[in-house]
Amino acid sequence: MSRMRSASSAIALALLVSALGGCARVDVHSPQIRGIGYVRIDEIVKQHPLYGQLSQIDDAIAAINLASLGPHVPHSAAELAADTTQLNRELQAAQQRANTILAQKQAVYARKEQAAIAAALAAAGQGNAGAQSAQQMQSTSVQQAQSAAQQANADYMAYQRSVIAQNNAAIANVSRELQAQANQKYQARAEQLQQNESTLALQLSQADAAKRLAVKTRLSNLALDDATRNSLRAQLDALDRNEAQVVLAQRSRDQADLLAYRKTLQAETGAAMRTQVTQIQNQTRATLLARRNEVASQLHGLGPMSLPSNLSPAMQVKIQQIHQQFVAEFRADAQGTIDEYTATKTDLDRQFAALHGADVGATGAAAKQLADLQKQRSDLYAKIVTQIQGDATRIAQDRGLSVVFANVEAAAGGYDMTDEVSKDIQSMHE
Amino acid sequence: MKIRILSVMLVAFALFAPSAIAADLTDVGYIDQAAIGSLPTFVSANQQLAQYKATLDPQYAAAIKSARTDADKQRITIDFQQKFTDKQREIVGPLFTRAQLAIAQVSSSKSLSVVVDKRIVIFGGQDITKEVLDLLQGSQAIAPPAASPPPSEVGFVDQTALDSLPKVKQANQDFATFATGQRKVFQQKFAQAKSNTDKQQVAQDYNKTLADKQDELLKPLVDQTRSVTSDVAKKKGLILVIDRADVIYGGTDITKDVQDALGK
Repeated sequence: MSRMRSASSAIALALLVSALGGCARVDVHSPQIRGIGYVRIDEIVKQHPLYGQLSQIDDAIAAINLASLGPHVPHSAAELAADTTQLNRELQAAQQRANTILAQKQAVYARKEQAAIAAALAAAGQGNAGAQSAQQMQSTSVQQAQSAAQQANADYMAYQRSVIAQNNAAIANVSRELQAQANQKYQARAEQLQQNESTLALQLSQADAAKRLAVKTRLSNLALDDATRNSLRAQLDALDRNEAQVVLAQRSRDQADLLAYRKTLQAETGAAMRTQVTQIQNQTRATLLARRNEVASQLHGLGPMSLPSNLSPAMQVKIQQIHQQFVAEFRADAQGTIDEYTATKTDLDRQFAALHGADVGATGAAAKQLADLQKQRSDLYAKIVTQIQGDATRIAQDRGLSVVFANVEAAAGGYDMTDEVSKDIQSMHE
Repeated sequence: MKIRILSVMLVAFALFAPSAIAADLTDVGYIDQAAIGSLPTFVSANQQLAQYKATLDPQYAAAIKSARTDADKQRITIDFQQKFTDKQREIVGPLFTRAQLAIAQVSSSKSLSVVVDKRIVIFGGQDITKEVLDLLQGSQAIAPPAASPPPSEVGFVDQTALDSLPKVKQANQDFATFATGQRKVFQQKFAQAKSNTDKQQVAQDYNKTLADKQDELLKPLVDQTRSVTSDVAKKKGLILVIDRADVIYGGTDITKDVQDALGK
């Protein structure tokens, strides 16, 4: 009887040991698992100690996106190219308009001059013959002059386009270079601060590890009363909160630092940009003015000055005076059109400079900051995933699994390592 | 005495014997697609494609700028995507076919039932990247394997096909509408926020609002899809189910079964 009892006890013990062993150690070679494990990485990422930082980067990205719905909309490369093309088109249209007006004015003044000469001849009693002769000769000269002026205008326009294209390319280069320098400095500072924050978060987590472990050990005591349990949980929460507050405070200081640094960079870049753009524009204006004067003097030489020989010397002097008077009037009138064109060009240049980042604070910086944050997020995410994968590999080897997948769609079998990896990662930071 | 021996044997069996004898799955292979992509022929093809895209981008930008309605924009986008896809098929298509043949041949020679992308394999499996690269870089034509891949206990579903189910489409559309509305609401809040801390809080609330809505609208569908997929997998004797996008060769396609089960 006693033998029977002891045998029964042994079997019961064996079953208990078997059951307990089954709880602690899953047989990964069972038909349901067959050596296959899987990890839901996205779920573990949310439990990772660095997830808080990831969320804060997400919030910072959201902040830029929300701000960018306002007046400072970052431009994409395609938008930038399209807007540049549009500005160049407007500039060409302004040139065309100015030259057309100048050609029209030239024709009007030539007709007025012709009428004035005819009137002067008639008043001097030179008769119709002289007047007609003068008119005929002057008409021929005017046609030649107009034709020459048209050709000169066309040449001048082509020259203007090429000089302005060079001007725009030079401004774009300067803008790109200055912006790249500013962005490089900003990114270096941002990366350094981000690195410091990550280090601080890990240091704090490790510094509190002993306290956290002690509280958790006490919490694992099943016999705790509710009040003590709540108090211990509150202690854990307080540890988490304190760490988060220290990191947040550091982040706020870093953000203020970055903001101030960005303003300094903006000011430096803006000043450098303005100086260089002004130099380029002055050079462009001087080049165009020199060419315009050259063309004007050539046209001046083609003026209607071959008069009939039967005119008296006094009449010839008179006609010269009339001619010079109309040339002066034309120049004064044309100057208004040229000034209008110059104002339009200056405005378009300003828009061009702004578009290409003269104001780093507006479009370029927001887009750059967004790109920096996305890179930071991607780097941090990769760091977290690498740690998860390393941990999963270690557990898989320990368990004797044959293959482990990440992020499966569904599982009818296999071994779900998600909880185990998650706890392991958390314990490493405790 | 016999009973004592029996009981000791039972203890030993319970402690050391596996619950059942089953062979581990060893017919899973993986490949590093990035390594294939870095072959000179693929690099050159991608450069051609990038050049084509560079010429297409300004045309697309100009067309979008002239579009008057959202419908116009959508039509233009689809047209340009189609143009790009056609070019991609023309330039990369032949290389892709050759790569598929190489993968199939190596997999067949190693009796693999499924080959997946390296990115989803954390541990184990057979890396066939080198064999495939060697075959691809050879000058000879690659013949298709004589036999199709053996049945695999790793299944896959086409997630894009599941996303096109009416209720999933509706949920995605509802979420997009919600997100657009919230963007405007939070933009105003953001503009009114006075300090940096306030702005941070607005951004945080914005992300949380979107995440909560996403959970409310999409999580039940995701859970339902996962549960249905698991049931189908059990019936088909599969162990795991992965996304079609990660499967390069073999595997068991259960997309239609899952679609049917979800549609019921």
